[in-house]
Parts: sequence; structure tokens; C-alpha cells
Amino acid sequence: MPRRRAIKLSQSNRERKEEKGILSDLANYSQSGMTFALSVVIGFGMGWYLDNKVFGGRTAPWLSFLFLGFGIAAGFKHLWDLSRRIAKDDD
Amino acid sequence: MEHPILFISVILNWIGLPVPHGPIGGTLLEKLTEPYLTYSWLIMAFLFVVPKLTLGKLELVPGTGQNFWEALIGGLMDFFIEHMGREKARMLFPVLATFFIYIVLANMIGLLPGFMSPTSSLNITVAMTLIVWLLHHILGFRYHGWKYYKHFTGPIAVMAPFMIILELIGNFARLVSLSMRLFGNILAKEILLGVLFMLVGAIFAPLPILCLGVLVSLIQAVVFVLLSVIYCVGAMEHAH
Repeated sequence: MPRRRAIKLSQSNRERKEEKGILSDLANYSQSGMTFALSVVIGFGMGWYLDNKVFGGRTAPWLSFLFLGFGIAAGFKHLWDLSRRIAKDDD
Repeated sequence: MEHPILFISVILNWIGLPVPHGPIGGTLLEKLTEPYLTYSWLIMAFLFVVPKLTLGKLELVPGTGQNFWEALIGGLMDFFIEHMGREKARMLFPVLATFFIYIVLANMIGLLPGFMSPTSSLNITVAMTLIVWLLHHILGFRYHGWKYYKHFTGPIAVMAPFMIILELIGNFARLVSLSMRLFGNILAKEILLGVLFMLVGAIFAPLPILCLGVLVSLIQAVVFVLLSVIYCVGAMEHAH
């Protein structure tokens, strides 16, 4: 009887873990696509603002391009952080 | 598209208070009677009054009302403990549980005709996201002191200025995506329901969308709270 109970307990534990996995996967992945796209847009927006408002168009396209690169890098960094967090959760 | 009938706005109009016709009112009084604010207050009042009525006196052997609230609060507490450990869950429980219950109710109320979801206004979602965003940085500073800056500089000293810009962009993206996702999903639900009711409401065409609306409301609330938990845990753990 105790053994059967232990098996049942471990089963319910595993089920709970799976449940937690589904919900947190949902949160992580539904957010990641949007965050990636927004990183690129926000990076470009910062560069554009610096170019046209702060420096008055003197540096015209260059800061936009530079910060666009930063935005893309930030997007990939987000993916990198996400994959590392998931790898850490798995073990 | 014809403007949907909102009961609170109709009542306010009847009393004689000005209700803005556009999304944003001109005067202070009009700003205070915007539908998303009045419905937000309705939900707050609901959350104050209904637990008071259903709970009554707390008893050792719970009745039906107390049973419901115990199951809800206990379930939420278990959920947070699973994700962040007992101590941190107890510390953050009031904020996160309030967000969850408020968001679920705010999403669901839009499914009733004559009501709207406050979360379908960007003002409400941005306000909630700002609270979460400030909260997780404050927690970071509280747990690590000034060393919290190491979360932003990365492991290599030479790369630090570069990494700070990346983290800055990432933080803004966090802020925007968390608020926009909740806002977008709920607004889509509201508009879809409104259009379907207007066009084919007579043959019950909006019914499947109503079912999906219940699902979306719950999922978006869970995702919002879960992402807040993930951000807070990330700020509290050690920099890598």
C-alpha cells in the first residue's frame, strides 16, 4: 500500500511539472517573437531619434544603422538568454 | 461602426455628467468618466464588495463562499511557490495575485454585452506594466545593492558599454511587448465580438468567439503574471 501511494505521488509530481512546463513555455514563447521584433524596431527608433532630433540630421543615416545593428543584437541576446534559461530549467 | 452601448456611460449621461465621445476626453471631468476608467472602478468595487459578502466571517469549516476563495488563493499561492520558492512567493504574493484576479475579471467583463474590458485600453496595460517593470528593478537593487549593475554589463569588462546599450533596448522591448500583448489580444477580442454581434448576432454566430474569449482572457492573465514572475526572479538571482 505505501509503495502504491509513493508511485501515485511521483506520478502526480510529474504531472504537475509538465503542467508548469506548458504554462511557462506558453509565456516564454508567446513573448519571445514579439520581443525580438520590438528590439529591432526600438533600436532603430533610438538611432533615428539621435540622428534627427539630438544631432539635427548632421550624422544622418549612420547612427540609425548603428543602432539598428544594436537592436538586432539585442534581439538575439534575448533569444540567447531565453534558451539558456530553458536549458537551466530542464535539468 | 456604430458605437457600442456601455451601461455606465449611459447612466453617467443620464445623471448629467459629461462622457467623452472620443477615446480621450478634453476636460478633467471628461477624463475621469472615460469608459475604461469607470469600468476599471466597477471591477475594483466588485472585488471589494463581493469577497466581503461571500466570505462573511472566516470559519474553520468553510462554507461555499469561503471554499471558493480559499481554492483560488491557495491555488495561486501553490503556483507562485512552484515558480519562485516559498519565501519570495510569500513576499510578492499580494502584488501578483492582485494583478491576476484583476486582469482575469477585467478581461472577462468584456464578454458581457454593455460592458467593456478596461484592459482593451493601452493606458491600463501600460500602467500595470510600468508597475511590474519598476518593481523588478527595485527588487534587483534591494537584493544586490549597487552591484545590480552587473546584470547589465555582462561578464566581459571590454564588452560592457556595448552590453549596456543592448540591455537598455531589451528593457524597453520588455516594457512595450508586455503591455502590447495584453492590450492587443483583448482589443482584438472586443472588436471581433462587436462586429460579429452587429452583423450576424441574430443567428448566434459570436458564440464560438465568446468561448475563445474566455480562453484568451484566462491565458493572457496567466501569461502576464507568469512573465512578471520570470522578470522578478531574473532580477533577484545572481548575475552570471
